[in-house]
Amino acid sequence: MRILRFVGRRLLQLIPVLLGVVVLTFLLVRVLPGDPIRSILGPNATEADADAARARFGLDQPIWKQFLDYLGGLVTGDFGTSIQSGASVTGEMALRLGPTLELVFIAVSIAIVLAIWLGIWSARRADTVGDHSVRIFALFGNSIPEFWLGLVLILVGYAALGWFPAPSGRVDPDTNLTPLTGADLIDALITGNGPAISSSAAHLVLPVLTLVIGVLAPLLRSVRASALEVLRSEAYAAAAAHGLPERTLLRGYLRRATLVRLPSLAALVFGTALGSTVLVEYVYSWQGFGQWALRGLLYRDYPVVQASVLIIAFAYVLVFLIADVVHAWLDPRVKI
Amino acid sequence: MASLEMLPVVSGTKDGRFAKALIYVGSGILIVAALAAIFAPLLSSWGPKEIDPSGTLAAPGGEHLLGSDGNGMDVWSRVLHAARIDLGIAVLAVALAVVVGTLLGLLAGYLGGWVDDVLMRIVDIFQAFPTFILALAVSALLGGGFFNLVITIAAVNAPAYARLVRAEVRTLREMQYIEAAKTSGASTLGIMWRHLLPNSLTPVRVIAPLNCGWAMLTLAGLSFLGLGVTVPTAEWGSMISLGTSDVVAGRWWTSVPPGLALLVCVLGFSLLGEGLQERADAKSRR
Repeated sequence: MRILRFVGRRLLQLIPVLLGVVVLTFLLVRVLPGDPIRSILGPNATEADADAARARFGLDQPIWKQFLDYLGGLVTGDFGTSIQSGASVTGEMALRLGPTLELVFIAVSIAIVLAIWLGIWSARRADTVGDHSVRIFALFGNSIPEFWLGLVLILVGYAALGWFPAPSGRVDPDTNLTPLTGADLIDALITGNGPAISSSAAHLVLPVLTLVIGVLAPLLRSVRASALEVLRSEAYAAAAAHGLPERTLLRGYLRRATLVRLPSLAALVFGTALGSTVLVEYVYSWQGFGQWALRGLLYRDYPVVQASVLIIAFAYVLVFLIADVVHAWLDPRVKI
Repeated sequence: MASLEMLPVVSGTKDGRFAKALIYVGSGILIVAALAAIFAPLLSSWGPKEIDPSGTLAAPGGEHLLGSDGNGMDVWSRVLHAARIDLGIAVLAVALAVVVGTLLGLLAGYLGGWVDDVLMRIVDIFQAFPTFILALAVSALLGGGFFNLVITIAAVNAPAYARLVRAEVRTLREMQYIEAAKTSGASTLGIMWRHLLPNSLTPVRVIAPLNCGWAMLTLAGLSFLGLGVTVPTAEWGSMISLGTSDVVAGRWWTSVPPGLALLVCVLGFSLLGEGLQERADAKSRR
C-alpha cells in the first residue's frame, strides 16, 4: 500500500515536469529559426503553395489553437501527422522504438552483468595492480567517443576481417523477415525464420559491443565504489572477523549489499545509453528511434520533434521512478 | 585466510600515490595537447584548410604525414589545428556552465522560498533528459557555430552545477560561522560572496575537469551528426564523420587519427578528474 501511495505521489510530481517539457518543446521548436514547410516543398514552390501546405497541417492557425489541438491529441494518444512523411507519428514511432529498445536492452543487460562481476572483483583487490588496471580500463571506456569506437570496430570486424556484415541495416533484406515488433531478432525468433535469426544476430554484434563499452565504464566505477563502501563498513568487518567462510562473505554480504544500488545505477545508465544510441544508430544505419528523432529535429518536423522529446523525457523519468521502487523493495532500510 | 589480506585496509599512502600519478599523467596529457594546439602551424607543413588537388585520399607517408582526406586536405595538420576548436569550446562552455550554475545554485540555496522553487523546477525540466539528447535538441534548434555550441553545451551542464551548489549551500548556511557573520552585521550579498561561494565550490572543482572531457565528447558527437562544427573547419568530430565511408572501404587514416586525438584529450581530463576525486575521498575518510 505504501508503495502504491509513493508511486502515486511521484507520478503526480511528474505531471508538472512533463507539462513543462510539452510546453517548452512546443514553443521552442516554433520560435527558433527553421521552417518545416519549406523543406518539403522544394525550391520552386510559390508562396501560395506554402500557404496551402501550412493550412493542411494546421500551421495557419493561431498558436494557442495549435497548442490546444496538440494537447487534445495527446490525451487520446495521437501525436499528429508527420510533415515530412505525411504518416501518423504514433505509427512511425511504434515502428522505430522496437529496434532501438532491442539495442539498448541487450547492451545494458550485458553491461550490468559485466559491471557487477568486474566491479566487485576490483573492489576486493583495491589498490593492487588488478584494481588499477580495471580502473584505467573504466577511464578509457569513459573517455572513448562511441561513434568513433563504432567505426574502429567496423574497420576491424568488417573491412579488415570480414567477420561481420556491412554497417547498412539490421537484417539482410533477402531473408524476407516479417516485421512484428521492429526488434528484428525477436521477430525472427517468433516467426521461426532461421536465416533471419543468424543475420539479425550478426548485425547486432558490433553495435551492441560499441554500446556495451560506452555504458560499462560508468557502471563499473559506481559498482566498484559501492562495493568498496560495503567492504569498509562495520557490518562487513564484523562478519569477516567472525570468520565466516569466504563464499558466504562474498555472496551474502558483499554481493547483495552492492546489488541494492543497482536499480538507480541502471536507470542512470539507461539515459546514457539513450544518448549514445543516437550516435551508434547513425554509425550502423540502424534506422531506429534515434535516427528518426534526429531527422525530425533537422527538418523541423514539429509533430515528430514534440513526440520524440516527450517520449524520451517520459521514458527517462519513468525509469528513475521504477528504479526507486525496486530499490525500496530490495532494501528494507529505505522508507518511502 | 590469504584472501583476507587482500581486503582493502585504507592505505592512505598507496592511495595517495595512485591519485598523484593520475593527476600528473592527466595534466601532462593536457599540457601537451594545449601546446600542440598553440603551435599547430609550426608543426605541420600544410594549412588546416589547404587542399592538395593532386592528392585526395593519399595514404600516409610521403607528402602527407598521416595521409589526406577525401577533399585532399592534410589529416595531420587538421588533427593538430582541431585541438584549438575542440579544447576551446569545451573549456569555455564548462567555464560558462560553472559560473551560471554556481550563481543560480547560490541564489536558490541561500534565498530559498519562491526563487528556489522556480529555479529548481526549471532544473527539473532540464534534467528530465539524458544530457546528450538535450544537447542534440538544443543545438539542432539553435544551429552550429562556435558561440552557439558554447552556449548549447553550457546550457546543458549548468543545471547540474546549480543543483550541486544549492545542496552544498543548504548545508553550509546552517553552519555557525554563517550565523556569526549574520549577527556581526554582514549583508546577504556579502555572506554569499565571501563565505558561501568559496566553500560551496569544493565539489565543483572535482567535477569540472570530468565535465570538460564530457563536453569534448558531446561537441564531437554533435559535429559527427552534422550539427556542430562543419567542414572545412578542422574539428575532430566532423573529421571522423567525413571519413565514415573511407572506414567501410577499409581506409583507416581519415577517421582513426582524429578519434585517437579526441580519446587522448578526454582521457587527460578523466585522469585529472579521477585523481582529484580520489584525493578528495581520501581526505574525507581521514
